[in-house]
Amino acid sequence: MSTSAALVLAVSVAIPPSAAPLPSPAGADAILAEVRKPGAAAVLVNVWATWCSPCREEFPDLLHVARELAPKGLRLVLVSVDFPGTEAETRSFLTSQGVDFPTFVRAGKDEAFVDGLERQWSGAIPATFLYDANGKLVRFWEGKASYPVIKKRAQAALDTKETR
Amino acid sequence: MTRKALLAIPVLLCLAASAALAGGALPIGATIPMTDVKMKSVDGAELALADVRKPAGTLVVFTCNHCPFAKMWETRIVELGNSYAVKGIGVIAVNANDPKVAEDDSFDAMQRRAKERGMQFPYVVDATSNLARAFGATKTPEAFLFDKDGKLVYHGAIDDNGQEPSKVENAYLKLALEAVMNGGDVPVKETKSIGCGIKFRS
Repeated sequence: MSTSAALVLAVSVAIPPSAAPLPSPAGADAILAEVRKPGAAAVLVNVWATWCSPCREEFPDLLHVARELAPKGLRLVLVSVDFPGTEAETRSFLTSQGVDFPTFVRAGKDEAFVDGLERQWSGAIPATFLYDANGKLVRFWEGKASYPVIKKRAQAALDTKETR
Repeated sequence: MTRKALLAIPVLLCLAASAALAGGALPIGATIPMTDVKMKSVDGAELALADVRKPAGTLVVFTCNHCPFAKMWETRIVELGNSYAVKGIGVIAVNANDPKVAEDDSFDAMQRRAKERGMQFPYVVDATSNLARAFGATKTPEAFLFDKDGKLVYHGAIDDNGQEPSKVENAYLKLALEAVMNGGDVPVKETKSIGCGIKFRS
């Protein structure tokens, strides 16, 4: 290994991943506003919690799909339902997953949040909502999905519309 | 039968099949499903819903040990269950989670939890998760209340504030239990709360 390569390696090992932004409190309206912000060809909204094992298991797959399809216009909106007072744990998990973009934490009462986001949703987490370029819900599922399933669904949503 | 009517039959069959596949929770007015399937309770007894039913009504709560939402409402579930069991409502708590996925939902852990919390009603294992499937339950906690005729009159949340019991504005399940006890109409029949998805056994 050359001296410069060793130096680069030493520096990259020494620098910790940048901390994820603290999730911003948001009700259903704010989440839907985020979905309808111009610029996305499709939007994936995932509702999760740090203590939810299926949520944690599918998290890397969601991020993998989001990173792969971001150049095609896929936007990922992460909404934690962790409880108030546990923001440090939420941020720590997001940081460990390499999340470096703004995310959200659910605000307000359960029913308003659940029905405000989507009436089909029973309230079970994890829950994932896929919107097209016009902000119209095209697919929704409860429970975790695998990388190929998420990617196929997201790709199908991207294929339906032009970017706003 | 006209040609148009004949053509409509497969369409209707397809719609019925897709509705069944889509699942969904029991609708208000539905009768209690799977009343004869025995489930192991924390005291070792094998109980079916038919064994738990009481003339005044029956409360089935899908809950579990591990879920923070279920834990948040646990004290209230036990208080309601204990008090209305004495008043003549059949009460049962059902854990449909696969303990291979959620270790805290093992039978031993359920026995400990029931003892710690002073549950005076059965806490049973839905060993196939098929009871949860038959109810269309998706999460914990999730309550289903049936009236004296075994018809579903309330489905949903325990109340409207899991995190802060002192700030509950609508004690949905309690109001429904009171209505069933008094033979009145349940004021709010369906509600939602956020909960942990049931870890269904495959």
